[in-house]
Amino acid sequence: MTTANELFLALIRANPKLSRYNPLRRILFFDDFNEGMNGWCELLGNHDGNLDNVREAVADLRPPQLSNCTFFDIGTHGAMDGNYSLKLATRAKANHMSQAIKRITQVKRGLVQFETFFTYKAEQTFVRRRGNGAKEWDGNFDPSETDFGDFTFSNDVCEGESGIRYHCALRYVNTDDKGNLVQKWMYKTSVQPTTKMVRAGLAKDLGDYHVIDPSDWAEIPGGYQPLCYNEVPTKINWHYLRWTFDTGKRRNVELQVNNLVMDLRNIPVPVYEHEYHGIRNLLNFCVDVRTHTNVRNFLYLDSVLVSVEE
Amino acid sequence: MRKSFTAVIERNAVLSGAFATEAYEAAWAGEARWFIRILALEGEGAALRVQPEISPDGLFWCEEGTKVPPMTAEGLYSFPLRDFGHWLRLSGEITGTENGGNASVRVIIYLALKS
Repeated sequence: MTTANELFLALIRANPKLSRYNPLRRILFFDDFNEGMNGWCELLGNHDGNLDNVREAVADLRPPQLSNCTFFDIGTHGAMDGNYSLKLATRAKANHMSQAIKRITQVKRGLVQFETFFTYKAEQTFVRRRGNGAKEWDGNFDPSETDFGDFTFSNDVCEGESGIRYHCALRYVNTDDKGNLVQKWMYKTSVQPTTKMVRAGLAKDLGDYHVIDPSDWAEIPGGYQPLCYNEVPTKINWHYLRWTFDTGKRRNVELQVNNLVMDLRNIPVPVYEHEYHGIRNLLNFCVDVRTHTNVRNFLYLDSVLVSVEE
Repeated sequence: MRKSFTAVIERNAVLSGAFATEAYEAAWAGEARWFIRILALEGEGAALRVQPEISPDGLFWCEEGTKVPPMTAEGLYSFPLRDFGHWLRLSGEITGTENGGNASVRVIIYLALKS
């Protein structure tokens, strides 16, 4: 006899758009960017109608784009499926970050799984910038790879009016601020400064959106993972990512990127010490990309699937 | 149903001298409309002059050809574009002087796209 679970899996596997994913039992949303933005939008800091009151750190995170991945040398690359992907682009300014957000609320606390196929690139440049001693293009290695800084997948969870609020944030650090390849997955060790905290003098914006101090990051055990930049800035290769967190236990569970599965259950998640009004059962998903140099960095998502246990 | 998206290309930004906005991909859109909301102009004879530009790759740009009258007062201005491909931006300059230096404008620039 076919069980309900077997039937569910058979239906997923029979759908070419879904069969590349591994959803939990209930699909909350499947965002195919051939069909538009699907609710992903620019994050902007809180204000009271007066835009002068937006903190500089969250004033210019750039609008997301629908990209067909066109490059100057080969023309249109296209997405993994169809024509379009969601694209985030930084400015050509060191430490600039672009972030997009999708906002929903929780029906029930428990397992949440975010899956996507992503790729990343630094913008094509035509002059050398690193100076003497920097590794040159040798027909295989391209210095463009060291122009790419980092990207982060994060959430924003609040359990209720007087409940607990926290962000999980998982960052792929491609290079350090000197352009050396790091290629490690990291997790943050402090809360994200909010407008409420900055206005109350509880935190300052010190150059990293996600944390109190830019050094508040730690390596995920076993998180060294060179990805497929593919040599030059005009070739893209899609990577599978699956991130599970548990809003019942207020923790990350697992991060899978291609063949690497990282156990996150023992990684601490910083929780705010104060309350937030008006965000009962908040569940937001965020993606961002940050450049370490004066070269634009891009992050592309072919599609996104978010599912929950029940 | 036609797809649409409004991107805020500049928000509460102070522009002075020559400028170009960040590139924005619009391959999916059949029509576009720029909105420029001037929140403030500072300087003697201050004027914002823009021209829409197009690019095949987001790196190299040429003028699209639409002529936009200089903007010399606070308010909302707009003009449409069609038959572009596939990247859009605005370039321009702020003319006029303020205390012997360059005049400036504070703007919000929207790019409204529709399939």
